[in-house]
Amino acid sequence: MRLEYINPFVEASCDILEEVLDVKIKKEELFLKETTVPILGVAVLIGLTGNVRGRVLIDMEQDTALKIAGIMNMEEIAVFDEMAKATITELANMIGGRAITELHNEGFDFEVSPPTIFTGTDMEVSSPHLEAFIVPLDTPFGRIEVNVAVKEREDSNF
Amino acid sequence: MANEEYPSVNERPPDGLKPDGGNFKLMVVDDSMFVTKQLTQILTSEEYDVLAVAENGEVALEKYKSHYPDIDLVTMDITMPKMDGIECLKKIIEFDKNAKIIMISAIGKQDLVKESLLIGAKNYIVKPLNRSKVLERIRNALS
Repeated sequence: MRLEYINPFVEASCDILEEVLDVKIKKEELFLKETTVPILGVAVLIGLTGNVRGRVLIDMEQDTALKIAGIMNMEEIAVFDEMAKATITELANMIGGRAITELHNEGFDFEVSPPTIFTGTDMEVSSPHLEAFIVPLDTPFGRIEVNVAVKEREDSNF
Repeated sequence: MANEEYPSVNERPPDGLKPDGGNFKLMVVDDSMFVTKQLTQILTSEEYDVLAVAENGEVALEKYKSHYPDIDLVTMDITMPKMDGIECLKKIIEFDKNAKIIMISAIGKQDLVKESLLIGAKNYIVKPLNRSKVLERIRNALS
């Protein structure tokens, strides 16, 4: 998998989180997973199409999601309700949108599907035949993982 | 010190007030309840009247027609279920060629921006929403 496909999602995640939360985000070491990955508690999935097929997963613990949703709404949110879900989904939408804009500027033809949010414990995600690169982001509210699994289409010119 | 009789020259009237004292009426179109809440908070803080909120293009078109000619400006998301923002923009402009619509999207691809402006959008804002940028674009579109 080409790193230039992953970096825009990682950079977009850092930039958007820093903008909306007004905090410093620290990127940790990138690692590769070929097998099933456990979900931390709240995960937003964005499908990728165009020159590639794959997906991006923005994953965090529910406590982290609640704190982030609270800051974005400028009020404390104690329960992961519909507004909290809409807020975290919109956060992922902004990250996907920023990354796609950057990839498009670099000449790649990527499109994103509307984000889908999953919540719960003891969940795992598998993407058969796709390697997943995971970049953990260290925030003052907890760890967020940007998980990108993407493969070039066989008929792609890239 | 300012008083009611002699207001300070530094005090400005809220953006949402028309010269005749009425409020500009707006419709917010977005499928995210977070974004509609955020936009409504920004707009009402400047005394804009958020007359209608719609969660997709179909509902937005219906509401624009039913409130016509009361809506002064529409903020329009692009990616929405049922009818997306570009299609809704086209249909509202077909119905009312003087409609003032500002596109708001997380995606800032140049071709999408150009297409919206060619169809008749007044401006384009890329998320995350910045309060002063939103208000400035709306103020300019209404002036």
